[in-house]
Amino acid sequence: MLSPVLRAPWSRAPWSRARRRTVILAAAVLTGVLLVVVLMTGWAGSGNSGVTAVDGNANAVVYAAGHRPLAPEFTATTLTGSKLSFSSYRGKVVVLNFWGSWCVPCREEASTLAAVSAQYQPSGVSFLGVDVRDTAASAEAFVHSFHLTYPSVSDSSSAVTLDFTAVVPIAGTPTTLVIDRTGHVAGAVFGTATYPELTAILAKVTAKAGG
Amino acid sequence: MTDVRAPETDPFDPATEPDDQPRPGPASPGGGAFGLTDWLKWAWRQLTSMRIALVLLFLLALGSVPGSMLPQQGNNPAGVQQYFTSHPALAPWLNHLGLFNVFGAPWFAAIYLLLFASLVGCVVPRTFRLAGSARTLPPRAPRHLARLPRSAEYATALPAADAVEVAARVLSGHGFRLRRPVTPADPADPAEAGHWVSAEKGYLREVGNLLFHLALLGVLVSVALGGLFGYKADRLLVQGQTFADTASALDEFHPGRFVTAADLGPFTITLNKFDASYISSGQQRGQPSAFDAQISYTEQPGGPARTGQLEVNRPLSVDGAKVYLIGHGYAPEFRVTDARGHVVYNEATPFVSGTSGNFLSDGVVKVPDAQPEQLGFAGVFVPTAVDVGGSLESVFPAADNPVVSLIAYAGNLGMNTGAPQSVYQLDTSGMQQLTANPQVLVPGQSLKLPGGRGTITFTGYVPWVSLAITHDPGQLPALICGIAALGGLLLSFMIRRRRVFVRAIGGIRDRAGEHGTTVQVGGLARTDASGGFEAEFAVLAAELRSAHEQAAAHQPAAHHQPEGE
Repeated sequence: MLSPVLRAPWSRAPWSRARRRTVILAAAVLTGVLLVVVLMTGWAGSGNSGVTAVDGNANAVVYAAGHRPLAPEFTATTLTGSKLSFSSYRGKVVVLNFWGSWCVPCREEASTLAAVSAQYQPSGVSFLGVDVRDTAASAEAFVHSFHLTYPSVSDSSSAVTLDFTAVVPIAGTPTTLVIDRTGHVAGAVFGTATYPELTAILAKVTAKAGG
Repeated sequence: MTDVRAPETDPFDPATEPDDQPRPGPASPGGGAFGLTDWLKWAWRQLTSMRIALVLLFLLALGSVPGSMLPQQGNNPAGVQQYFTSHPALAPWLNHLGLFNVFGAPWFAAIYLLLFASLVGCVVPRTFRLAGSARTLPPRAPRHLARLPRSAEYATALPAADAVEVAARVLSGHGFRLRRPVTPADPADPAEAGHWVSAEKGYLREVGNLLFHLALLGVLVSVALGGLFGYKADRLLVQGQTFADTASALDEFHPGRFVTAADLGPFTITLNKFDASYISSGQQRGQPSAFDAQISYTEQPGGPARTGQLEVNRPLSVDGAKVYLIGHGYAPEFRVTDARGHVVYNEATPFVSGTSGNFLSDGVVKVPDAQPEQLGFAGVFVPTAVDVGGSLESVFPAADNPVVSLIAYAGNLGMNTGAPQSVYQLDTSGMQQLTANPQVLVPGQSLKLPGGRGTITFTGYVPWVSLAITHDPGQLPALICGIAALGGLLLSFMIRRRRVFVRAIGGIRDRAGEHGTTVQVGGLARTDASGGFEAEFAVLAAELRSAHEQAAAHQPAAHHQPEGE
């Protein structure tokens, strides 16, 4: 038996034929309402202003001037054991790649990064890796395997990642950020970076003299 | 004198009446001109009816069933994968229906939101009606009190006006709300005539009823709050490791709808030391006696480091999140050198204990950057190993005699392209098995791989813990609302709305020839309450009678003027 609380306000006589028809109609209307709700639940965040997708991929973006978040300062130890301060890169365009030797998409994009760095380093673009959740032995073996010529800092505790997550929504590894000459994040690839994406972002960021 | 019949409609609860009686306007879209607004009104009335609310509540419960019967993406992604491989035909269909992510599925949200709308639509108008009913006075006393479910009648020597006065005092003393005839009496209104008092009590019932509904609404809101603004995450942390609460440092991250990676608390936790103690003798041998995870943490990057302790069911509260210790295990440490003699792997690798007990654990070592070929090892870690007929068994969960047993593979790990891999699974489809039998190693021992491919050394082991990080802003409100709902339900169960009427009819001449007054007492209680009113009424009637007798005894004997009725 239903509790008095639940029963009292709604108790009714047994269903008549008219009422049964009413209920069938109610079910139909409910189904309609359900459909509307199902469609409505597809609403998610709307687009951010100042962000343009690159190469038709929403995961590769360029931030418009004025919408570029300031990259945090950090000091970390490179895989070869020397101290590296990010502030020493100020005035240069920097490609900052978060990677790990264990991560399949990182291994997938590694040769792209090697090629892009070989192409852009002579024109003054710096490349820096942030090795996430890794060990020195595996990381060095990775660098050797893919013939990477640029340095990486070790971020086994995710401290650098945490600093950057405060300004850019880094949801996983790999993530590649392009930082402009003023130290602002100007472009990002969330996930595997491809050659067209990276070069398109770099072309935009290096093109503007002050950019 | 007692005739307990349920009234056809509830005369007590004005709040129920609008629902129980046909409302003005079209009741069903049967025929005639039924416009869009009529349809909308009708749909709204259907949605907010108790029947639909119950159907939705039932659907919600039904919808949760697959959530507990099928593996869910949220808490068991490996189980989902397993299900896909074992039911290749059925699994994609179930996936289309969202049955592997029930609580995030649109249809579940739809049921939830409709139930919410239904409850809001029911509770809001009801609140106003109940608030109104709590303020209204009891109805005037019926003319024939003997027809009420409970009634009593007796004579008193008191004049009618005094008898009602005494009755009113008694009822008021019992906490009844009273209604008396308006004075001066309006001769045009016969209902107001005579000497009577109406009394009603049990208004708290409606308060409880309302509290229950509002609290139910509150529970739904709280759960929604938690779902939209909370998150759940897991992280396996090896002793000595540090992790930051950021999406890429978490093994599993399940944010609420309005939570992004940037909303995570910026805390950092290091596992300094983990100890598990086990009972070493007796019936309970091998049962854990204590777990103790010594951690240090910072709430903000660059903030002061604090130390803390995690125990089972004693989470760490940090920056609005709770960190629970939910599991532990062993991470054997391996060093691998490749064919060139380069150290290409040197780390503690978490192994996971299966069902075999005593922390007999499985794990894999993947060395994707070994040259010239990638290397892979499928291993078993045995904390206290005993050779039972040629196979290794673990006889105790502590690492008293740790060994690992490894099968070595070389070839393509499948890690350079393709889908992300589980770190606990080795895809050997592109690999060649190097050792025919599992090779057993004790700490410090090495295995030379055939063909000069390199060496693997079992250098030691460290413990790991798995941590669950949850942030649920709806937890406390849900608890408070849950308690309030229970309280409201209890109130509405335990308290009855009941009415007592007293009518005094003077000018009656009794057998002794004296002028007297007849006192009629009638009572009515909500019939769906669990009884008890019969006794209460009997006590009340007896008390009224004795009050009248007492009052009559104290009355000056000269007072024998007949009433003017």
